[in-house]
Amino acid sequence: MTILETKDLSFSYPDGTLALDNISVNIEKGKKIAFVGRNGSGKSTLFLSMNGTHRPKKGEILFHGKPMKYDSKSLREIRKNIGIVFQNSDDQIFAPTIYQDVAFGPTNLDYSKEKVDEIVHKTLEYVGLMHLKDKPPHHLSGGQKKRVAIAGIVAMDPEIIILDEPLANLDPVGADEVMDLLNELNYFGKTIIISTHDVDLAYSWADYVFLMSEHKIISEGTPEEIFMQPDKLKAAHLRRPATLEIYEEIKRRGLARNNCCPRDIPDLVHSLRSQHLLWVDVPPEVQEGDYVNLGIFYGEYAQNSPYEAANCKVLHIHDDGLAIVEMDRKAFRAGSIGIYDTSRYSGEEVVQIMKRDGIECVGAMGKKSKLLAEKDDIYLHVTAGVIDRSILNALAGQRCLILTHGGMVYHAMDRIKAYMEKSGINIPVSVINPGNGEQVKQDVSESMAG
Amino acid sequence: MVQVLDDYAITSPLRQKNTLLKIAIASFGIFMGLLSSSPITPLFIFAIISFSIIFFGKIPIKTYLKILTIPASFVITSAIIIAFISGSGQNLFSFEIFGHTFGVNKEGLNMAILVLSRSFGGTACLFFLALTTPMIDLFAVLKMTKLPDSLIEISMMMYRYIFVFLDVAMGIKYAQTVRLGYRDFKTSFRSLVMLGANLFIRSWEQGEKLYLSMNSRCYEGKLVMYDEKRSIEIPEILLAFSFFTLVIAIFYFTRDVVLF
Repeated sequence: MTILETKDLSFSYPDGTLALDNISVNIEKGKKIAFVGRNGSGKSTLFLSMNGTHRPKKGEILFHGKPMKYDSKSLREIRKNIGIVFQNSDDQIFAPTIYQDVAFGPTNLDYSKEKVDEIVHKTLEYVGLMHLKDKPPHHLSGGQKKRVAIAGIVAMDPEIIILDEPLANLDPVGADEVMDLLNELNYFGKTIIISTHDVDLAYSWADYVFLMSEHKIISEGTPEEIFMQPDKLKAAHLRRPATLEIYEEIKRRGLARNNCCPRDIPDLVHSLRSQHLLWVDVPPEVQEGDYVNLGIFYGEYAQNSPYEAANCKVLHIHDDGLAIVEMDRKAFRAGSIGIYDTSRYSGEEVVQIMKRDGIECVGAMGKKSKLLAEKDDIYLHVTAGVIDRSILNALAGQRCLILTHGGMVYHAMDRIKAYMEKSGINIPVSVINPGNGEQVKQDVSESMAG
Repeated sequence: MVQVLDDYAITSPLRQKNTLLKIAIASFGIFMGLLSSSPITPLFIFAIISFSIIFFGKIPIKTYLKILTIPASFVITSAIIIAFISGSGQNLFSFEIFGHTFGVNKEGLNMAILVLSRSFGGTACLFFLALTTPMIDLFAVLKMTKLPDSLIEISMMMYRYIFVFLDVAMGIKYAQTVRLGYRDFKTSFRSLVMLGANLFIRSWEQGEKLYLSMNSRCYEGKLVMYDEKRSIEIPEILLAFSFFTLVIAIFYFTRDVVLF
């Protein structure tokens, strides 16, 4: 369903500079959209037109199919429903305390003082910044400021959240937390639009991509369609995502299967061609004639049992530590991923689960879960790219635990299931402490068999 | 980032105490200090308040003394001048420079000591407020007074952007310094002018961006105040009350005391 649409939108600044040239885009509800283009290609101007700040010279903008009107009442309605998070958080966070800044939007919507208070508390809890509510913004890190800026918008409960370069100037951990938050918001039905010149981000994150160059949309489509077109990328002064570059190179060397389109590292690993005689990096203590374990096969790749461990006999070891091995398969149980919902957190329970299930790798997603783990001295092996890492580790036979909360639980579940469907490799995955009304154990191998 | 007084206030253990109580203590101290005709009362206030800044407010003594040196340098200089130029009565000592006689008399010295003690008492009270009560808590109190809303709102935004521009200014200054912008007096002057001009333009642009972002959140001329309810507890009342009575008692009994 289309939620926002622009038709032949053109805009130039008062000094005559053309900023948007016949832009026609169609934004679907509930999707993750990325506008990709280099700096100055018109992304920010387009965003400011979308919330009615810039009035287009030509063309129109339709929100829910109705043309945008520019009287103050209609604008208010538009801006309540289309929130913009600016690139520089300091442009947006103006109040002396975090609390006041998040309360700014709801207050302007004429909510009562009690309701504003309730919304602010809920939102701050949601982004994991409750402990900073009475601090001034200059005491916060870049990632925290960005989350405050997002909270300020989320507090108004918009249908669309637009973020201009959300990861600019953020460190990897801060960036990861912001992306976690965006995924969660999207999971609960918000349409998320970002602008970026980070092709890797757009390629791995977005559902749909618009490529912008010289104030025009030059191409649009799914990330696979867009980033497989070298000429369009070149026209937009962008390069191919690293994952695709790597894939192309290993494919040229005959190491990967054709016609894959790996979007993340698990996809990339899956695209690798299986071989019987392999070159493998072996630890120094391994000797010729020993066996080394290389991972697990499942489904069509496993010939004799549901799971097979690829045990390889080392035939010959080179001086540089590379060895030629012969593949040998052995029935084996794969690693697993358990998801623990920290909204029903108890430190003791997590420790107990880790002991009971022999957990080898613990990851936490979302600030709240990380703080909880930190408080109880639970060592986190993974804090960034948690889902991907857990999949990779589970593939290598490890038992993984993901600590997360709320919508992220379902998001993680969906991501892992999507990977299983795509790859045909089964990873036992379950929510360890499901709440009321949830399925007690969601073992996907059963549902897939049935 | 630079550490300013406000940063101490935000992390101070006394921050969680009732703002009005803290304001009452500080203004009572200043008022009584000014009213007192003997230097004993202000000095007593100075001692008690400094003690509570260090003991209750957990400000390191070294830091406190360092902060105190700034007003102290002004106060001591002016006290010396007052001692020389004012008053009449018995000359305590005098000397002659280029045919002019400079001397300190009894009345002048008493006056200087009174000014000195009043200033220190008052300064300590102000520091007590500044080191335990961040601006953000004071805005809520300002709101209770009948000051116009727009005045308070503008000051809140000013407060917020002071820190943004402080960072910008430090960045520019550093960039200028590494390129020898403060080599000698002339270049320093030029660099400083450029820094100022740049900051002005930046703040102008910031204002426009701010307006844009506020509008994007349906700005309608309304800001909320952050006012956390902080109740006053009985030990605090007792402590404040004993401070008040002690000061009043000392004020009463030392009203005629003169040092010289």
